[in-house]
Amino acid sequence: MSPALTLVRAGRAEWSRIWTVRSSWVFALALLVVVLGFGAVIGNDAASDPAGVTPGSTAWDGIRFTGMFALFGLVAMAVVVATGDHATGGIVPTLQWTPRRGMLLAARTAVVAGTTTLLGLLCMAAGAVVVWTFVPHLGLPVADGLALVGEMGVVLACGTLLAVGLGLATRSTAASLVLAIALLLVGPLLLAQLPYDWTLTVATHLPGSGALFLIFGEGPSDDMTTTSARLTMAAWSLAALAAGGWRLLATDADR
Amino acid sequence: MIRTSGLTKVYGSIRAVDDLTFDVVPGAVTGFLGPNGAGKSTTMRMIVGLDRPTAGTATVAGRAYAALPAPLREVGALLDAGAMHPGRTARSHLRVAARTHGIPFARVDEVLEQVGLAHAARRRIRGYSLGMRQRLGIAGALLGDPQVLLFDEPVNGLDLDGVRWIRSLLRGFADEGRTVLVSSHLMSEVQLVADRVVVIGDGRLVADSTVAELLGRAGGPRVRVCTPRADDLLRHLPAHAVAERTGTHELEVSGVAPAVVGDLAHAVGVPVHHLSEVEQSLEHAYLALTGQQVDPVPEGVAR
Repeated sequence: MSPALTLVRAGRAEWSRIWTVRSSWVFALALLVVVLGFGAVIGNDAASDPAGVTPGSTAWDGIRFTGMFALFGLVAMAVVVATGDHATGGIVPTLQWTPRRGMLLAARTAVVAGTTTLLGLLCMAAGAVVVWTFVPHLGLPVADGLALVGEMGVVLACGTLLAVGLGLATRSTAASLVLAIALLLVGPLLLAQLPYDWTLTVATHLPGSGALFLIFGEGPSDDMTTTSARLTMAAWSLAALAAGGWRLLATDADR
Repeated sequence: MIRTSGLTKVYGSIRAVDDLTFDVVPGAVTGFLGPNGAGKSTTMRMIVGLDRPTAGTATVAGRAYAALPAPLREVGALLDAGAMHPGRTARSHLRVAARTHGIPFARVDEVLEQVGLAHAARRRIRGYSLGMRQRLGIAGALLGDPQVLLFDEPVNGLDLDGVRWIRSLLRGFADEGRTVLVSSHLMSEVQLVADRVVVIGDGRLVADSTVAELLGRAGGPRVRVCTPRADDLLRHLPAHAVAERTGTHELEVSGVAPAVVGDLAHAVGVPVHHLSEVEQSLEHAYLALTGQQVDPVPEGVAR
Protein backbone atom coordinates (compact mmCIF):
# COMPACT_ATOMS: atom_id res chain seq x y z
CA MET A 1 0.00 0.00 0.00
CA SER A 2 1.37 3.41 -0.92
CA PRO A 3 1.67 5.98 1.87
CA ALA A 4 -1.03 8.11 0.24
CA LEU A 5 -3.45 5.19 0.11
CA THR A 6 -2.59 4.24 3.70
CA LEU A 7 -3.36 7.81 4.77
CA VAL A 8 -6.64 7.93 2.88
CA ARG A 9 -7.75 4.61 4.35
CA ALA A 10 -6.67 5.66 7.84
CA GLY A 11 -8.73 8.81 7.35
CA ARG A 12 -11.79 6.83 6.29
CA ALA A 13 -11.36 4.63 9.35
CA GLU A 14 -11.20 7.73 11.56
CA TRP A 15 -14.42 9.00 10.01
CA SER A 16 -16.05 5.67 10.83
CA ARG A 17 -14.69 5.79 14.37
CA ILE A 18 -16.35 9.16 14.94
CA TRP A 19 -19.77 8.26 13.63
CA THR A 20 -20.09 4.68 14.90
CA VAL A 21 -20.36 5.73 18.54
CA ARG A 22 -23.45 7.31 20.00
CA SER A 23 -21.65 10.11 21.87
CA SER A 24 -20.67 11.85 18.60
CA TRP A 25 -24.30 11.98 17.47
CA VAL A 26 -25.35 13.29 20.88
CA PHE A 27 -22.76 16.09 20.69
CA ALA A 28 -23.78 16.98 17.13
CA LEU A 29 -27.48 16.97 17.91
CA ALA A 30 -27.02 18.97 21.12
CA LEU A 31 -24.99 21.61 19.29
CA LEU A 32 -27.54 21.83 16.52
CA VAL A 33 -30.39 22.24 19.00
CA VAL A 34 -28.53 24.96 20.93
CA VAL A 35 -27.55 26.96 17.84
CA LEU A 36 -30.97 26.62 16.21
CA GLY A 37 -32.63 27.49 19.53
CA PHE A 38 -30.57 30.66 19.89
CA GLY A 39 -31.25 31.44 16.25
CA ALA A 40 -34.99 31.29 16.95
CA VAL A 41 -34.69 33.45 20.09
CA ILE A 42 -32.55 36.07 18.33
CA GLY A 43 -34.74 36.09 15.26
CA ASN A 44 -37.87 36.46 17.34
CA ASP A 45 -36.33 39.33 19.35
CA ALA A 46 -35.29 41.11 16.17
CA ALA A 47 -38.74 40.63 14.66
CA SER A 48 -40.57 41.94 17.74
CA ASP A 49 -38.16 44.86 18.37
CA PRO A 50 -36.84 46.12 15.01
CA ALA A 51 -35.45 49.27 16.64
CA GLY A 52 -33.02 47.13 18.65
CA VAL A 53 -31.39 45.77 15.50
CA THR A 54 -28.09 47.41 14.59
CA PRO A 55 -28.48 49.14 11.23
CA GLY A 56 -26.78 47.30 8.39
CA SER A 57 -26.54 44.00 10.23
CA THR A 58 -27.53 40.73 8.58
CA ALA A 59 -28.87 37.40 9.80
CA TRP A 60 -25.25 36.19 9.92
CA ASP A 61 -24.41 38.78 12.57
CA GLY A 62 -27.25 37.52 14.72
CA ILE A 63 -25.75 34.06 14.96
CA ARG A 64 -22.11 35.12 15.40
CA PHE A 65 -22.01 34.86 19.20
CA THR A 66 -23.10 31.20 19.11
CA GLY A 67 -19.57 30.53 17.87
CA MET A 68 -18.58 30.43 21.54
CA PHE A 69 -21.09 27.63 22.25
CA ALA A 70 -19.94 25.83 19.13
CA LEU A 71 -16.33 26.17 20.22
CA PHE A 72 -16.89 24.63 23.65
CA GLY A 73 -19.21 21.91 22.37
CA LEU A 74 -16.86 20.92 19.58
CA VAL A 75 -13.77 21.04 21.78
CA ALA A 76 -15.53 18.62 24.13
CA MET A 77 -16.52 16.41 21.21
CA ALA A 78 -12.99 16.42 19.77
CA VAL A 79 -11.55 15.55 23.19
CA VAL A 80 -13.94 12.62 23.60
CA VAL A 81 -13.18 11.34 20.11
CA ALA A 82 -9.41 11.82 20.39
CA THR A 83 -9.17 10.14 23.80
CA GLY A 84 -11.75 7.43 23.12
CA ASP A 85 -9.17 4.90 22.00
CA HIS A 86 -7.07 5.38 25.11
CA ALA A 87 -10.03 5.45 27.48
CA THR A 88 -11.34 2.12 26.18
CA GLY A 89 -8.12 0.31 25.23
CA GLY A 90 -9.15 0.61 21.60
CA ILE A 91 -5.68 1.98 20.81
CA VAL A 92 -4.42 -1.64 20.83
CA PRO A 93 -6.38 -2.72 17.72
CA THR A 94 -6.09 0.78 16.22
CA LEU A 95 -2.29 0.60 16.15
CA GLN A 96 -2.39 -2.96 14.88
CA TRP A 97 -4.49 -1.80 11.93
CA THR A 98 -2.51 1.41 11.36
CA PRO A 99 0.92 0.77 12.85
CA ARG A 100 2.54 3.71 11.07
CA ARG A 101 1.94 6.17 13.83
CA GLY A 102 2.69 9.24 11.77
CA MET A 103 -0.12 8.21 9.43
CA LEU A 104 -2.48 7.71 12.34
CA LEU A 105 -1.53 11.10 13.78
CA ALA A 106 -2.11 12.85 10.46
CA ALA A 107 -5.39 11.05 9.77
CA ARG A 108 -6.75 11.52 13.28
CA THR A 109 -5.82 15.19 13.50
CA ALA A 110 -7.19 16.05 10.07
CA VAL A 111 -10.41 14.06 10.30
CA VAL A 112 -11.36 14.89 13.89
CA ALA A 113 -10.56 18.60 13.65
CA GLY A 114 -11.94 18.84 10.11
CA THR A 115 -15.17 17.05 10.93
CA THR A 116 -15.88 18.98 14.11
CA THR A 117 -15.02 22.32 12.51
CA LEU A 118 -17.27 21.61 9.54
CA LEU A 119 -20.03 20.49 11.88
CA GLY A 120 -19.79 23.76 13.81
CA LEU A 121 -19.92 25.85 10.65
CA LEU A 122 -22.91 23.94 9.32
CA CYS A 123 -24.77 24.40 12.61
CA MET A 124 -24.03 28.14 12.58
CA ALA A 125 -25.16 28.43 8.98
CA ALA A 126 -28.38 26.63 9.88
CA GLY A 127 -28.77 28.99 12.85
CA ALA A 128 -28.41 32.01 10.55
CA VAL A 129 -31.14 30.62 8.30
CA VAL A 130 -33.41 30.35 11.35
CA VAL A 131 -32.71 34.01 12.25
CA TRP A 132 -33.42 35.00 8.67
CA THR A 133 -36.79 33.22 8.64
CA PHE A 134 -37.92 35.50 11.50
CA VAL A 135 -36.47 38.69 9.99
CA PRO A 136 -36.11 38.13 6.24
CA HIS A 137 -35.50 41.83 5.57
CA LEU A 138 -32.08 41.55 7.29
CA GLY A 139 -30.98 39.39 4.37
CA LEU A 140 -28.62 36.45 4.19
CA PRO A 141 -25.86 37.68 1.85
CA VAL A 142 -23.56 34.96 0.59
CA ALA A 143 -20.47 37.17 0.88
CA ASP A 144 -21.16 37.88 4.55
CA GLY A 145 -21.79 34.20 5.12
CA LEU A 146 -18.47 33.24 3.58
CA ALA A 147 -16.69 35.86 5.65
CA LEU A 148 -18.25 34.51 8.83
CA VAL A 149 -17.35 30.94 7.83
CA GLY A 150 -13.76 32.05 7.28
CA GLU A 151 -13.51 33.83 10.61
CA MET A 152 -15.29 31.17 12.65
CA GLY A 153 -13.51 28.43 10.74
CA VAL A 154 -10.18 29.63 12.11
CA VAL A 155 -11.53 29.75 15.66
CA LEU A 156 -13.16 26.33 15.52
CA ALA A 157 -10.24 24.70 13.69
CA CYS A 158 -7.71 26.06 16.19
CA GLY A 159 -9.94 25.04 19.11
CA THR A 160 -10.51 21.50 17.89
CA LEU A 161 -6.84 21.05 16.94
CA LEU A 162 -5.98 22.15 20.47
CA ALA A 163 -8.44 19.57 21.77
CA VAL A 164 -6.97 16.75 19.65
CA GLY A 165 -3.46 17.71 20.75
CA LEU A 166 -4.43 17.74 24.42
CA GLY A 167 -6.26 14.43 24.02
CA LEU A 168 -3.26 12.73 22.44
CA ALA A 169 -0.86 14.26 24.94
CA THR A 170 -2.76 13.39 28.10
CA ARG A 171 -4.58 10.24 26.83
CA SER A 172 -7.24 11.15 29.39
CA THR A 173 -10.68 12.57 28.64
CA ALA A 174 -11.01 14.24 32.05
CA ALA A 175 -7.53 15.77 32.03
CA SER A 176 -7.96 17.05 28.49
CA LEU A 177 -11.32 18.65 29.27
CA VAL A 178 -9.96 20.32 32.39
CA LEU A 179 -6.98 21.70 30.48
CA ALA A 180 -9.15 22.86 27.57
CA ILE A 181 -11.59 24.65 29.88
CA ALA A 182 -8.68 26.22 31.77
CA LEU A 183 -7.06 27.51 28.58
CA LEU A 184 -10.24 28.59 26.81
CA LEU A 185 -12.46 29.87 29.61
CA VAL A 186 -11.28 29.93 33.21
CA GLY A 187 -7.71 31.12 32.57
CA PRO A 188 -8.58 34.17 30.45
CA LEU A 189 -11.50 35.21 32.67
CA LEU A 190 -9.68 34.79 35.95
CA LEU A 191 -6.29 36.19 35.02
CA ALA A 192 -7.77 39.26 33.32
CA GLN A 193 -9.58 40.19 36.55
CA LEU A 194 -6.46 40.21 38.70
CA PRO A 195 -4.83 43.63 39.34
CA TYR A 196 -1.44 42.79 37.85
CA ASP A 197 0.03 43.62 34.47
CA TRP A 198 1.65 40.23 34.08
CA THR A 199 -1.58 38.32 34.64
CA LEU A 200 -3.23 40.49 32.00
CA THR A 201 -0.35 39.71 29.64
CA VAL A 202 -0.72 35.99 30.30
CA ALA A 203 -4.50 36.18 29.86
CA THR A 204 -4.05 37.97 26.54
CA HIS A 205 -1.84 35.17 25.28
CA LEU A 206 -4.19 32.34 26.21
CA PRO A 207 -6.18 30.72 23.37
CA GLY A 208 -9.51 31.57 25.01
CA SER A 209 -8.73 35.29 24.73
CA GLY A 210 -7.92 34.82 21.06
CA ALA A 211 -11.23 33.08 20.52
CA LEU A 212 -13.09 35.79 22.45
CA PHE A 213 -11.53 38.52 20.32
CA LEU A 214 -12.19 36.73 17.03
CA ILE A 215 -15.84 36.07 17.92
CA PHE A 216 -16.83 39.26 19.72
CA GLY A 217 -14.14 41.70 18.56
CA GLU A 218 -12.92 42.44 22.07
CA GLY A 219 -10.53 40.76 24.45
CA PRO A 220 -8.86 41.33 27.82
CA SER A 221 -6.37 43.80 26.32
CA ASP A 222 -6.83 46.70 23.89
CA ASP A 223 -3.58 45.69 22.20
CA MET A 224 -5.16 42.63 20.64
CA THR A 225 -5.62 42.48 16.89
CA THR A 226 -7.17 39.90 14.60
CA THR A 227 -3.71 38.75 13.57
CA SER A 228 -2.42 38.49 17.14
CA ALA A 229 -5.55 36.60 18.19
CA ARG A 230 -5.18 34.14 15.31
CA LEU A 231 -1.48 33.68 15.98
CA THR A 232 -2.16 33.06 19.67
CA MET A 233 -4.73 30.38 18.91
CA ALA A 234 -2.59 28.77 16.22
CA ALA A 235 0.49 28.69 18.43
CA TRP A 236 -1.39 26.95 21.24
CA SER A 237 -2.88 24.43 18.82
CA LEU A 238 0.51 23.63 17.30
CA ALA A 239 2.10 23.30 20.74
CA ALA A 240 -0.63 20.91 21.89
CA LEU A 241 -0.34 18.90 18.67
CA ALA A 242 3.43 18.73 19.03
CA ALA A 243 3.04 17.35 22.56
CA GLY A 244 0.32 14.91 21.49
CA GLY A 245 2.24 13.85 18.41
CA TRP A 246 5.37 13.17 20.43
CA ARG A 247 3.39 11.04 22.89
CA LEU A 248 1.84 8.99 20.10
CA LEU A 249 5.00 8.62 18.02
CA ALA A 250 7.59 8.05 20.70
CA THR A 251 5.97 6.12 23.53
CA ASP A 252 4.30 2.76 24.05
CA ALA A 253 0.71 2.44 22.87
CA ASP A 254 -1.16 2.51 26.14
CA ARG A 255 1.22 3.01 29.01
CA MET B 1 8.08 -16.52 10.22
CA ILE B 2 8.38 -14.43 13.38
CA ARG B 3 11.90 -13.67 14.57
CA THR B 4 13.00 -11.91 17.72
CA SER B 5 16.65 -11.07 18.20
CA GLY B 6 18.04 -9.78 21.47
CA LEU B 7 14.61 -8.37 22.26
CA THR B 8 14.70 -6.43 25.50
CA LYS B 9 12.18 -4.24 27.29
CA VAL B 10 13.03 -2.35 30.45
CA TYR B 11 10.52 -0.48 32.61
CA GLY B 12 12.48 1.54 35.14
CA SER B 13 14.44 -1.01 37.13
CA ILE B 14 12.49 -4.00 35.81
CA ARG B 15 13.70 -5.99 32.80
CA ALA B 16 10.34 -7.31 31.59
CA VAL B 17 11.96 -8.95 28.55
CA ASP B 18 15.64 -9.73 28.61
CA ASP B 19 17.66 -10.45 25.46
CA LEU B 20 15.05 -12.75 23.99
CA THR B 21 15.96 -14.53 20.76
CA PHE B 22 13.73 -17.11 19.11
CA ASP B 23 12.05 -17.98 15.82
CA VAL B 24 8.44 -18.99 15.26
CA VAL B 25 8.35 -21.17 12.18
CA PRO B 26 5.54 -21.61 9.65
CA GLY B 27 3.49 -24.79 9.53
CA ALA B 28 3.48 -25.36 13.27
CA VAL B 29 1.62 -24.17 16.35
CA THR B 30 4.16 -22.67 18.72
CA GLY B 31 3.11 -22.42 22.34
CA PHE B 32 4.47 -19.44 24.23
CA LEU B 33 4.73 -20.39 27.89
CA GLY B 34 5.79 -18.69 31.06
CA PRO B 35 4.39 -17.71 34.44
CA ASN B 36 2.29 -14.58 34.81
CA GLY B 37 4.59 -11.60 34.49
CA ALA B 38 7.23 -13.58 32.59
CA GLY B 39 7.04 -11.14 29.67
CA LYS B 40 4.89 -13.07 27.17
CA SER B 41 2.39 -10.29 26.51
CA THR B 42 5.11 -7.63 26.40
CA THR B 43 6.99 -9.71 23.84
CA MET B 44 3.88 -10.09 21.69
CA ARG B 45 3.15 -6.36 21.96
CA MET B 46 6.68 -5.60 20.78
CA ILE B 47 6.28 -7.98 17.84
CA VAL B 48 3.30 -5.95 16.59
CA GLY B 49 4.87 -2.61 17.43
CA LEU B 50 2.63 -1.58 20.31
CA ASP B 51 5.56 -1.33 22.71
CA ARG B 52 8.97 -0.09 21.64
CA PRO B 53 11.86 -2.44 22.47
CA THR B 54 14.59 -1.02 24.68
CA ALA B 55 16.98 -3.12 22.58
CA GLY B 56 16.81 -5.80 19.92
CA THR B 57 14.41 -6.38 17.08
CA ALA B 58 11.23 -8.26 16.28
CA THR B 59 10.32 -8.98 12.68
CA VAL B 60 7.51 -10.67 10.83
CA ALA B 61 8.32 -12.04 7.38
CA GLY B 62 11.64 -10.25 7.62
CA ARG B 63 10.24 -6.79 8.38
CA ALA B 64 9.28 -4.76 11.40
CA TYR B 65 5.50 -4.94 11.82
CA ALA B 66 5.06 -1.22 11.11
CA ALA B 67 7.00 -1.60 7.86
CA LEU B 68 4.66 -4.26 6.48
CA PRO B 69 2.76 -2.85 3.49
CA ALA B 70 -0.60 -4.25 4.66
CA PRO B 71 -0.11 -5.54 8.21
CA LEU B 72 -3.66 -6.79 8.70
CA ARG B 73 -3.33 -9.02 5.63
CA GLU B 74 -0.07 -10.50 6.91
CA VAL B 75 -0.50 -10.69 10.68
CA GLY B 76 -3.60 -11.33 12.75
CA ALA B 77 -3.19 -10.67 16.44
CA LEU B 78 -5.43 -11.07 19.44
CA LEU B 79 -3.66 -9.39 22.32
CA ASP B 80 -6.33 -8.05 24.64
CA ALA B 81 -9.94 -9.05 24.15
CA GLY B 82 -11.17 -6.19 26.33
CA ALA B 83 -9.40 -3.55 24.25
CA MET B 84 -12.29 -2.32 22.15
CA HIS B 85 -14.63 0.65 22.26
CA PRO B 86 -17.67 -0.72 24.11
CA GLY B 87 -19.99 1.73 22.40
CA ARG B 88 -19.47 0.24 18.94
CA THR B 89 -21.24 -2.77 17.53
CA ALA B 90 -19.15 -5.77 16.56
CA ARG B 91 -19.84 -5.08 12.90
CA SER B 92 -18.81 -1.41 13.21
CA HIS B 93 -15.65 -2.41 15.08
CA LEU B 94 -14.60 -4.74 12.28
CA ARG B 95 -15.68 -2.34 9.55
CA VAL B 96 -13.32 0.27 10.96
CA ALA B 97 -10.55 -2.32 10.69
CA ALA B 98 -11.64 -3.26 7.17
CA ARG B 99 -11.52 0.37 6.05
CA THR B 100 -7.85 0.67 7.02
CA HIS B 101 -6.97 -2.02 4.47
CA GLY B 102 -9.68 -1.72 1.86
CA ILE B 103 -11.12 -5.08 2.87
CA PRO B 104 -14.66 -5.60 1.52
CA PHE B 105 -17.39 -5.41 4.17
CA ALA B 106 -18.60 -8.84 3.04
CA ARG B 107 -15.47 -10.25 4.66
CA VAL B 108 -16.58 -8.68 7.96
CA ASP B 109 -19.82 -10.65 7.87
CA GLU B 110 -17.88 -13.73 6.85
CA VAL B 111 -15.55 -13.68 9.86
CA LEU B 112 -18.41 -12.83 12.21
CA GLU B 113 -20.13 -15.96 10.91
CA GLN B 114 -16.90 -17.93 11.26
CA VAL B 115 -16.50 -17.04 14.96
CA GLY B 116 -20.18 -17.56 15.72
CA LEU B 117 -21.08 -13.92 16.33
CA ALA B 118 -23.28 -13.25 13.29
CA HIS B 119 -26.39 -13.21 15.50
CA ALA B 120 -24.87 -10.51 17.75
CA ALA B 121 -23.18 -8.42 15.05
CA ARG B 122 -25.47 -5.42 15.59
CA ARG B 123 -25.20 -5.45 19.37
CA ARG B 124 -22.92 -3.01 21.14
CA ILE B 125 -19.77 -4.57 22.54
CA ARG B 126 -20.51 -3.38 26.08
CA GLY B 127 -23.20 -6.07 26.22
CA TYR B 128 -20.79 -8.85 25.24
CA SER B 129 -19.50 -11.50 27.62
CA LEU B 130 -15.75 -12.09 27.87
CA GLY B 131 -16.09 -15.12 25.63
CA MET B 132 -17.92 -13.08 22.98
CA ARG B 133 -15.26 -10.36 23.12
CA GLN B 134 -12.65 -13.06 22.74
CA ARG B 135 -14.42 -14.35 19.64
CA LEU B 136 -14.68 -10.80 18.27
CA GLY B 137 -10.96 -10.32 18.84
CA ILE B 138 -10.31 -13.53 16.95
CA ALA B 139 -12.58 -12.33 14.14
CA GLY B 140 -10.44 -9.18 13.94
CA ALA B 141 -7.32 -11.31 13.74
CA LEU B 142 -8.78 -13.38 10.90
CA LEU B 143 -10.18 -10.42 8.96
CA GLY B 144 -7.24 -10.02 6.60
CA ASP B 145 -6.79 -13.79 6.15
CA PRO B 146 -3.20 -13.46 7.39
CA GLN B 147 -0.30 -15.90 7.15
CA VAL B 148 0.88 -15.17 10.70
CA LEU B 149 -1.32 -15.40 13.79
CA LEU B 150 -0.54 -14.30 17.33
CA PHE B 151 -2.97 -15.14 20.09
CA ASP B 152 -2.40 -14.08 23.68
CA GLU B 153 -4.39 -16.37 25.98
CA PRO B 154 -7.08 -17.04 23.34
CA VAL B 155 -9.14 -19.51 25.39
CA ASN B 156 -9.75 -17.08 28.27
CA GLY B 157 -13.47 -16.79 28.79
CA LEU B 158 -14.38 -19.40 26.19
CA ASP B 159 -16.67 -22.28 27.02
CA LEU B 160 -15.79 -25.88 26.21
CA ASP B 161 -17.13 -25.61 22.68
CA GLY B 162 -15.14 -22.43 22.20
CA VAL B 163 -11.97 -24.05 23.48
CA ARG B 164 -12.39 -26.98 21.11
CA TRP B 165 -13.13 -24.57 18.28
CA ILE B 166 -10.01 -22.48 18.87
CA ARG B 167 -7.95 -25.65 19.13
CA SER B 168 -9.10 -26.86 15.72
CA LEU B 169 -8.71 -23.36 14.29
CA LEU B 170 -5.08 -23.14 15.38
CA ARG B 171 -4.37 -26.66 14.16
CA GLY B 172 -6.01 -25.93 10.84
CA PHE B 173 -3.96 -22.76 10.30
CA ALA B 174 -0.71 -24.53 11.09
CA ASP B 175 -1.62 -27.40 8.76
CA GLU B 176 -2.17 -24.84 6.00
CA GLY B 177 1.43 -23.74 6.49
CA ARG B 178 0.71 -20.57 8.45
CA THR B 179 2.75 -19.35 11.41
CA VAL B 180 0.89 -19.61 14.72
CA LEU B 181 2.15 -18.28 18.07
CA VAL B 182 -0.18 -18.83 21.01
CA SER B 183 0.47 -17.96 24.61
CA SER B 184 -1.36 -19.67 27.41
CA HIS B 185 -0.97 -20.51 31.05
CA LEU B 186 -3.02 -23.67 30.49
CA MET B 187 -0.29 -26.26 29.92
CA SER B 188 -2.70 -29.08 29.16
CA GLU B 189 -4.29 -26.92 26.48
CA VAL B 190 -0.95 -26.07 24.91
CA GLN B 191 0.11 -29.74 25.00
CA LEU B 192 -3.00 -30.66 23.02
CA VAL B 193 -2.34 -28.25 20.20
CA ALA B 194 1.30 -27.12 20.12
CA ASP B 195 4.08 -28.64 18.03
CA ARG B 196 6.77 -26.42 19.47
CA VAL B 197 7.12 -24.41 22.65
CA VAL B 198 9.03 -21.32 23.61
CA VAL B 199 9.31 -21.07 27.39
CA ILE B 200 10.33 -17.86 29.11
CA GLY B 201 10.83 -16.96 32.74
CA ASP B 202 11.64 -13.53 34.15
CA GLY B 203 11.79 -12.29 30.57
CA ARG B 204 14.56 -14.71 29.61
CA LEU B 205 14.45 -17.68 27.27
CA VAL B 206 14.23 -20.93 29.19
CA ALA B 207 13.50 -23.38 26.37
CA ASP B 208 12.84 -23.35 22.64
CA SER B 209 12.15 -26.82 21.28
CA THR B 210 9.53 -29.22 20.05
CA VAL B 211 7.02 -30.45 22.60
CA ALA B 212 8.38 -33.99 22.23
CA GLU B 213 11.93 -32.85 22.97
CA LEU B 214 10.80 -30.94 26.01
CA LEU B 215 8.86 -33.91 27.37
CA GLY B 216 11.80 -36.19 26.69
CA ARG B 217 14.14 -33.87 28.55
CA ALA B 218 11.87 -34.04 31.59
CA GLY B 219 12.19 -37.86 31.76
CA GLY B 220 10.10 -40.78 30.51
CA PRO B 221 6.75 -41.99 31.82
CA ARG B 222 6.25 -41.87 35.57
CA VAL B 223 4.51 -44.10 38.06
CA ARG B 224 1.83 -42.65 40.28
CA VAL B 225 1.40 -44.45 43.61
CA CYS B 226 -1.17 -43.76 46.28
CA THR B 227 -0.35 -45.27 49.65
CA PRO B 228 -0.96 -44.29 53.28
CA ARG B 229 2.70 -45.24 53.99
CA ALA B 230 4.43 -43.12 51.35
CA ASP B 231 7.50 -42.53 53.53
CA ASP B 232 8.06 -46.28 53.97
CA LEU B 233 7.83 -46.85 50.23
CA LEU B 234 10.19 -43.95 49.54
CA ARG B 235 12.84 -45.53 51.79
CA HIS B 236 12.75 -48.78 49.87
CA LEU B 237 12.86 -47.45 46.31
CA PRO B 238 16.00 -48.30 44.34
CA ALA B 239 18.70 -45.66 44.30
CA HIS B 240 18.28 -44.84 40.59
CA ALA B 241 14.58 -44.07 40.98
CA VAL B 242 13.57 -40.42 41.25
CA ALA B 243 10.53 -39.86 43.44
CA GLU B 244 8.47 -36.76 44.06
CA ARG B 245 5.76 -36.32 46.68
CA THR B 246 2.70 -35.00 44.90
CA GLY B 247 0.35 -35.31 47.89
CA THR B 248 0.21 -36.52 51.49
CA HIS B 249 -0.40 -40.08 50.35
CA GLU B 250 0.81 -39.81 46.77
CA LEU B 251 4.15 -40.22 45.02
CA GLU B 252 5.30 -39.93 41.45
CA VAL B 253 8.29 -42.10 40.62
CA SER B 254 10.37 -42.03 37.47
CA GLY B 255 13.18 -44.33 36.39
CA VAL B 256 11.44 -47.57 37.31
CA ALA B 257 8.62 -49.61 35.78
CA PRO B 258 5.19 -49.79 37.46
CA ALA B 259 5.64 -53.51 38.05
CA VAL B 260 8.86 -52.90 39.97
CA VAL B 261 7.14 -50.39 42.25
CA GLY B 262 4.20 -52.76 42.79
CA ASP B 263 6.42 -55.73 43.59
CA LEU B 264 8.53 -53.64 45.92
CA ALA B 265 5.52 -52.36 47.83
CA HIS B 266 4.23 -55.92 48.18
CA ALA B 267 7.62 -57.19 49.35
CA VAL B 268 7.95 -54.58 52.13
CA GLY B 269 4.28 -54.81 53.13
CA VAL B 270 3.23 -51.30 52.11
CA PRO B 271 -0.44 -51.16 51.15
CA VAL B 272 -1.06 -49.60 47.71
CA HIS B 273 -4.42 -48.00 46.92
CA HIS B 274 -3.55 -46.88 43.40
CA LEU B 275 -0.76 -47.63 40.95
CA SER B 276 -0.62 -46.35 37.40
CA GLU B 277 1.69 -45.20 34.68
CA VAL B 278 1.31 -41.56 33.70
CA GLU B 279 2.63 -39.95 30.57
CA GLN B 280 4.99 -37.07 31.02
CA SER B 281 3.00 -33.83 30.96
CA LEU B 282 4.01 -30.48 29.59
CA GLU B 283 3.07 -29.04 32.94
CA HIS B 284 5.58 -31.29 34.67
CA ALA B 285 8.25 -30.52 32.10
CA TYR B 286 7.46 -26.82 32.37
CA LEU B 287 7.68 -26.83 36.16
CA ALA B 288 10.94 -28.75 36.00
CA LEU B 289 12.31 -26.13 33.63
CA THR B 290 11.07 -23.03 35.40
CA GLY B 291 10.95 -24.19 38.99
CA GLN B 292 14.57 -23.42 39.70
CA GLN B 293 14.71 -20.31 37.63
CA VAL B 294 11.48 -18.49 38.17
CA ASP B 295 9.65 -17.26 41.20
CA PRO B 296 6.06 -17.59 40.06
CA VAL B 297 4.13 -14.38 40.31
CA PRO B 298 0.62 -14.77 41.81
CA GLU B 299 -2.31 -14.67 39.37
CA GLY B 300 -3.43 -11.16 38.57
CA VAL B 301 -0.16 -9.47 39.48
CA ALA B 302 1.12 -7.46 36.57
CA ARG B 303 4.78 -6.83 36.09
